Amino acid sequence: MSDQPIPKHRVESGRVLFDIKVIDASVRLPVIILFGNAIHWLVIASLLSLIVSVKLIAPGFLGGVSFMTYGRLAPMARDLMLYGWASQAALGAGIWLMAHLCGRPLGGEYSGGFGGAMLRTLVISATVLWNLAVLLGTLAILAGYSSGVEWLEYPSWASAMLLLSFLLIGIWAVLLFDRRSTGRAVVAQWYLVAAFCWFPWVYGTANLLLVWKPIQASAQGPIQSWYCGSLLALWLLPVALASAYSLLPRLLGSQLKRRHLATLAFWMLLLLGGWNGMDRLIGGPVPAWMTSAGVVAGVLFLIPVFMISINLLGVPRKETLVAKSFPVRFLIMGLYALISVGLIGALASLPSVSGAVRFTAFTEAKTQFWILGAISLPLFAVLYESLPQLLGRDCWSPVLTGRHYILTLVGIAMLVSLLLLGGLFTGIALADPTVSFLNITSYSYPFHLMECVAQLLLLIAALTLGANITRALAGDYLLNKQPRK
Amino acid sequence: MHRLTTLLSGIFLVFLTSWLGLVAYPALHLGRLTPVPDPDNGGSFPPTYGGQAIAGQRVYATEGCISCHSQQIRQLSITTSDVDRGWGVRPSVARDYLRDSTAFLGSRRLGQDLSNVGVRRPDAKWHLIHLYHPSAVCEGSVMPCFSHLFLIRKIQGQPSDEALNLTGDDAPKEGYEVVPTAEAKNLVAYLLALRHDYPLPEAPVKKNGAAK
Repeated sequence: MSDQPIPKHRVESGRVLFDIKVIDASVRLPVIILFGNAIHWLVIASLLSLIVSVKLIAPGFLGGVSFMTYGRLAPMARDLMLYGWASQAALGAGIWLMAHLCGRPLGGEYSGGFGGAMLRTLVISATVLWNLAVLLGTLAILAGYSSGVEWLEYPSWASAMLLLSFLLIGIWAVLLFDRRSTGRAVVAQWYLVAAFCWFPWVYGTANLLLVWKPIQASAQGPIQSWYCGSLLALWLLPVALASAYSLLPRLLGSQLKRRHLATLAFWMLLLLGGWNGMDRLIGGPVPAWMTSAGVVAGVLFLIPVFMISINLLGVPRKETLVAKSFPVRFLIMGLYALISVGLIGALASLPSVSGAVRFTAFTEAKTQFWILGAISLPLFAVLYESLPQLLGRDCWSPVLTGRHYILTLVGIAMLVSLLLLGGLFTGIALADPTVSFLNITSYSYPFHLMECVAQLLLLIAALTLGANITRALAGDYLLNKQPRK
Repeated sequence: MHRLTTLLSGIFLVFLTSWLGLVAYPALHLGRLTPVPDPDNGGSFPPTYGGQAIAGQRVYATEGCISCHSQQIRQLSITTSDVDRGWGVRPSVARDYLRDSTAFLGSRRLGQDLSNVGVRRPDAKWHLIHLYHPSAVCEGSVMPCFSHLFLIRKIQGQPSDEALNLTGDDAPKEGYEVVPTAEAKNLVAYLLALRHDYPLPEAPVKKNGAAK
């Protein structure tokens, strides 16, 4: 890695090496646009999630209006979380990490090949297109144009825009890798290349077969589960892991040990990730071998998860250094979340457990833990680490950052444990045919009530992050206007 | 693994495994299932949907019914299945969905499973009132009101045949009536058409404890 400062660029043993400042300047605008918009979607998604959970305890809340019904708000909140926040932040994190890891600026006069200003305009337009697609897709669900396919509710034109935008951004990440100045590739780069290749494949296939030109519905179930499983495990998780692999050793000032473990974990994760979602159909209307494969994948998934954790948590660290650095703390918590998600996932894919809890809040707990914990926490780390470098100054308010960290962790822990417990209770009750369904609904009431509190905490956390980044970026504006002497 | 092409081919091959198993296989096999003839009256299983029911699927999709309702009867083990809860007479199989535009399998059961709601609740009037105000017919339900699928209008001459028979707080003002829109009627037609209770070769219906 070309971390040592080098004046502009120089040629060393046949390689062009770039100053880190040149690299940061080249990705500054796209990355800031992606992160900034991701955070505003996160705030909106958190607000919608809160409204959705209030509706479960007071069905009449904001009722009687078509676009405020649970059936429209819940998918809106989920899609905003997936595409507005997580995928967008992953794109931002992916580009920044890739440029750093490859020691290459994005375009510009030093790129020696692909265009300069025009390329940057293209990437920036693509980020705008992404946000337009998310906005229009969300409004379409609101106005009653949802496709009705879980996680793919955006109408076909919005999902086509999203895919096009991704291709325009993602291709540069892959090309950066191809033209890297750093020689030997590291595992973080592999994860990024895999993630940037996988999203178009999985999103394109799933949209084509389920939304754009739906195939006979008897075949849709497995494809839908494959999409949900691999969107998390093969697009968002690899970016989160790339963040951990590239940032954690560097921030702790030490080296990654047992690199062969990282290689093996990478290939295992890729192999199992695609099958991981099939536990969503255990006992359902699909051939039994498919769900059996899902059970096996769900349990075996623990192996790469443990290998990655041993790898990364095994990086020698000084606790004083950890306490000082929020990116490090977010990354470590993200790894703990990943281990827990792996364990919950393995448990949930056992047929006897799945039979009871699959349609309860337990499944929701797993999904939320994936998105908010294993994926979002590492993305927060990249955000907190990258922005000061991109802006060239210390831009975060330590107080707000600390509050965001605590509120996020408490919110996630509370939400996930409530959903897990609530899911177990309703699952046990559902398995007993003598308990009436409405009775079960009333059992879940106290859990739904407490979930509202957890969602409120997460909303405050998102607002804190919003305030923090607004302050950081507005500070930049003020500094430019009135330079201090 | 340090050249892009080598890495990409490795990634491609690994990705291909799940794509072949979970996308290509279902598309080629499950996607080509055909209806089986109904020996009794010359029709076929699964039965075809009427025009209103086909339109009703769109309403089911856009209103997000799938957020709370599943449409699958699971076989959980040799002895236990969703049949025990009275949600159906046999487990659902892939062939059951071949008349649908989208397979609304669902992932949450905040409400009841709807695979056989047309058998369980065959009364259209009940469904309309339930959609208009769920807790009027289902005390304690957390289902939202879909009153936006209905019109409240002034009675012109004779009251409409379609007007809902509402009582108590739900009843409209004197001289007014609540009538379903086309969307509500289509949705109810679709709900009434939902049934997985016919015999299929891979899913026989048990009668009096013995497989047919």
